[in-house]
Order: sequence, then C-alpha cells, then structure tokens
Amino acid sequence: MYKTIIGLLSFLVLLSSVAVRADETCMSPYMAKIVGQEDYVYIWTLGMEGVGDGEDKLVTVDVNPDSESYAQVVHSISMGGRHEAHHSGLTDDRRYLWASGLDTSKIFIFDVHTDPGKPRLHRTIDDFVATTDGIVGPHTNYALPGRMLITGLSNNRDHGGRTGMAEYTNAGDFISSVWMPTDDNLQGAIKSGNYADGYGYDARALPRRNALVTSSFTGWNNYMMNLGKMMGDAEAMKRFGNTVVIWDLHARTPKKILDVPGAPLEIRCAWGSQSNYCFTTTALTSKIWLIYEDDEGEWQAKAVADIGDASKIPLPVDISISADDDHLWVNTWNDGKVRLFDISDPHAPSQVFEQQIGEQINMVSQSWDGERVYFTSSLLANWDKTASAEGNDLQYFKLFSWDGKTLTPEFSLDFVEMGLGAPHQMRFGAHALYASQPVPSKTIAQTEH
Amino acid sequence: MASEEHRTTAHLPETSTHEAMHASPPEKPAILAPGYAPLSFVAPQAGSYRLPSFGEAPNGEVLGEDGEPGSLHEAYGDKVVVLSFIFTTCHDINGCPLATYVLQQVQTALQSDPDIEDSVRLVSFSFDPELDTPEVISAYGNHFRSPDSDWLFLTTTGTEMLEPTLDAYGQWVIRDYDESGAYLGTMSHILRVFLIDKQKRIRNIYSTSFLHADTVFNDIKTVLMQPEP
Repeated sequence: MYKTIIGLLSFLVLLSSVAVRADETCMSPYMAKIVGQEDYVYIWTLGMEGVGDGEDKLVTVDVNPDSESYAQVVHSISMGGRHEAHHSGLTDDRRYLWASGLDTSKIFIFDVHTDPGKPRLHRTIDDFVATTDGIVGPHTNYALPGRMLITGLSNNRDHGGRTGMAEYTNAGDFISSVWMPTDDNLQGAIKSGNYADGYGYDARALPRRNALVTSSFTGWNNYMMNLGKMMGDAEAMKRFGNTVVIWDLHARTPKKILDVPGAPLEIRCAWGSQSNYCFTTTALTSKIWLIYEDDEGEWQAKAVADIGDASKIPLPVDISISADDDHLWVNTWNDGKVRLFDISDPHAPSQVFEQQIGEQINMVSQSWDGERVYFTSSLLANWDKTASAEGNDLQYFKLFSWDGKTLTPEFSLDFVEMGLGAPHQMRFGAHALYASQPVPSKTIAQTEH
Repeated sequence: MASEEHRTTAHLPETSTHEAMHASPPEKPAILAPGYAPLSFVAPQAGSYRLPSFGEAPNGEVLGEDGEPGSLHEAYGDKVVVLSFIFTTCHDINGCPLATYVLQQVQTALQSDPDIEDSVRLVSFSFDPELDTPEVISAYGNHFRSPDSDWLFLTTTGTEMLEPTLDAYGQWVIRDYDESGAYLGTMSHILRVFLIDKQKRIRNIYSTSFLHADTVFNDIKTVLMQPEP
C-alpha cells in the first residue's frame, strides 16, 4: 500500500525495492523512481562561442503537459565558462544532480530538491585531477548507495586514454580512486583476449551478480581535437578503447577484461531479476554488443547486431533500454537517426524502427512507461557539426510520443536560437519526489550566474 | 533492480509486547529484497578488499531505551557499529523490516563468532520520535534482540533533537500529514544502513539492493582486520 503526498496525486513514487520500473531507464537502479509524468528535464548544456553567454549551463525545461509553462525553458544557470559539459547523474536519493566537464574536470553539484524547478549550485569539485592522482575527464556520474561513482576518460600524464574511476560521498567528499587494468598492471584481472588498454568511459552495476561493467572510449588528446583532424590522423585513430571490464562490485577489483573492439560506449543493463546481461555499442564498428554471464557464470562479450551500414560511419552514441527489457533505442550521431531494436532475444536483436531526428543526434532518454522519448543533439564541442543540410536541426531538445509504432513530435527547442548552446545529458525531475508543491511557472526563463 | 525509496502504510500495529514477533513481514510482498534470500553470489573473502572511509560518522543527541539522554558517539563506544535508521510502524517489507531482519541475522552470525562478537554493536535508531518513545522502541527491540546481544534501540525527544542527525547522515524523511496538520504515522525515506568502525568512521553504506547479512558480516570482519581504511 502506498500513500501519495497531500495535493500531489499526479503520480506515485515507486517504493518496492526490487520492482523494475524506471524513468529514463539509463540511470542507476539505486535511486527512487518516477512512475508517471515527469515535471522537468534538466539538460546539461555545452556553451558555444557566440551563442548567448557562451557558457556551459544547466537548463531546466518544463515537460509536464498540465503546466502553464509546458515545453518552455523555466530556468538556466551558467557555470562561468566552458568546461566541455558532457554527462550528469543524480545521487541515489535524487536530491542532487552532479554534472561534469571533460576539459576542466570540474564537477558541479546542483541542489534539485529544494525547488525542482530552479536548481541551485550547491558545491563545485575543482580538484578532481589532483585528488584522484591524475584522472582527467569525469564522465559518468553514477549513483551507488550514499555515494557517487565517477568514471574518467583520460589522465594528466599524457592525456591519452588510460584512466580510472573515483568515488565521492553524496556530499562531495573524496573516498577513493582506482585505475583501469592494463597489460603492465592487470590488478589480478584475467585478460581474456588481445586488449588491456586501461581506457574508460561508462559504468553500470548488477548488484545481484556483484558485477560492475565498464567500457572504453578515448583520451583528452582525441576528444578535445577537431573531429576531421582526428579522423585524418592515423595514429590518433589507433587510440580508442577496445575493452569492457567486469569488476567485483563489492571489492572494486577488476575480474575480467573482455575484447570489445571499436570503442564501446554507453552500457545499459537489463532490469529483469534474472537477466544477467548488458548492452553496449561500438562507435567505430557500428555494432551492438551483448555483455552477459553465461551458464557457467563466466562473463562474455559477443557482437549481436549491426547498426546501419558501418562503412558510412553512422557512429552509434547513446542507447536506452526499455523498462521491460524488450527494446533498445540506439542513436547514430553522424546520420542523425534513431533506431529501435527488438532485444527480447538479447543474443539476436533485430531492428524494428528507424527515423531521422536531426542533422546530428546524441542522447536519448525515455519515460518509465516508454511513451515519451526525449532527444538531444550535442556530442563534443570539437566534434559537433556546425552546418546543417536544409531543414535539419543542429542543436536541439526534442520530445516525441511513442505508441509502439510511431514517433510523434510533441515539441522541439532550438538551443542555438534560444541562446543556450549545445544540449547534452538529460535527467528528469519531479516535485513529488520531495513532497514539494510546484511554484507558479513563468514563461520567461530565469537565468543565474 | 531496486528502487531505494519506500513508503509505509498508515495503520499502527498492535504494540503488544506479549506476542512473539519475528523479523518477517506481516504480509507477503510481490518481490522480496535480496537480503531475505541466500546471497546470490560468492562474496569476496573478508580482508581481501578495502573499505575506504567516507569520513567521520556524525554525532547526535539521542534518548536511550531508559529515557536517558546521550549521544550517538557515546552509544557507539569503542565498537564496530552497524547503524540502522528505522521506525517501528514501518510495514514496507523491503524497508525498515528488512533492515531489522538483516541486523537480526548479523546478530546470529556474531553469536557464532565469539572472537568478534564483543567488538560489534548493533544500533537501531528511530526517526519517528512522536510514536517511538523510549518505552515503545525498547519493547520493539525486545522482539528481535537476544538477551546477551549488544543491540541498542535509540530514539529522540522530538524533531528538534532528531533533524540535525538525520541531516548529517543524509537521511531525508517526508512525513505525511492530513489537512488539519495531524501526523498520519507514515513517511517516506531512503533505506540506509551504515557500517562504522571503532574510530567512528563510516566504512560502508548499504541500501535495499545491497543490504544482506552475509555482506555486512564480511565487512565487519574486514574492518576489524583492517583498522586503517
């Protein structure tokens, strides 16, 4: 039996500790879930020179159709410069949103519970590199009980791809850090194939199996380089990750290094209580990979589907798994398309839908019931397209409704036209999480510096 | 995968102290938290991993079962502590009853390991001072605590005493009130159990998906084997 908070009957906050409902199903499972209509989407946005104040910012968009300011930017807070805004993540109690910069390695902690419609900067971590003994480029901000796990992309020795992970308390105090296993320091891990590159990118956990799964991208030298220049540099193109590492989640020790060649990026694990597997996609080889525990309890990696025509370098980026584990949205940045795969047989996904969303596309977040799908466009400042074929959107935040067959556009915000920048990671907010009443909405965004 | 927040039903249980009460749910839920079942993986051996410090476990004012005021640090003493925030009217099987059940299992494990039993104290701390008076919390504790075990049940005089501690431990609570402002006896909170070492440093935090007696017991042994994080 669940009780709703007085006056806020729009939805229930799901309480059962092992239910498989989730909002924007890519988040950590160790947090309260929104079951129902979200009120806000918090968009971590990269500043663009010549666009508004040119600064990175956290933009809040009202997405509740019952609100007077539906589909409007209701708040924006600028972060004093460009940090290469990239990913964000909520603490397990959803009271704070951590958002990080891949260039300056700063982490901004926002209070999103006092007034969900007006996030406030609570704390800035500006010594991440020094405190972690050289990890650069905080990427994934992943909630664990009472703490945040932060994956890195690079290091301050050579700014290549060797990197590590760090943990901080929810209050923002450093706990520990660990480096990814490499050939010269496997840290007890089994190297199952050809690679032990020590690269990092994303992390996801399966507590039932005591497993943490991490992927691998590239270092600062590459992700801060102009894309065209990088792709023409044969040596640079060799410096991409080719591994997925399986960790002992409790001990934080690497157990097995799997070969997943071609830069495996986002990881999304199945929600089912007996589903011991995750998906990732490889940016350079355009494949869906299944990371799974076999019948002998060994973790394996297997390419299970192609994404578009790899020769055209569609470049898979963000993915989102449905709450019922039956479908996987896959965005391909270069052609601006979203593809939907039926993954009810995880060993044999099949594409069932495809649609052009914009000139380029990166992030995808879906509501808990899968009926609302949000997209943003930005990948990296020096990689994003700066010109668009006629009619295509360059930097946008879009909402579509999904009925199982058709993506129907609901609204689209042009972030350049609005003077905001290049939108990236999305996270959901809701008043009912904090028993707070919505404040009267305003049609004009409030900006803060 | 678990949602860590839980809410409670409204009605207050009979607080009979004469009826045996087990750390098991009054009604069978759809899905039970992992802590109720055998551990689904082989845990790393105690002492083979490290438990870094989260920082000092905050202090706070408390009332003991005898109604006498004290502090959390006094309650912790020089023991390794497993601290659980609960309230006695919680009926969410995967919430406070889970925490109390796991602590009861840890109690059993400790009783089988006299080498470490004397080094460990269990602490259940109510965040419902309105209903969980010292008498109530003591009676509640007597249903789960073995006569010889070191398991304290604490409460507070009211929200003024309680809230600084909840804030310090990151334990937010949303209480339900009716339209007249009367407390309904239900609340929402994140389930968290804390492992605290002898130097009063937090060494681990468990939420619903992580909370299991085997894991907690292993961590207790690890902390005792590695006094320095």
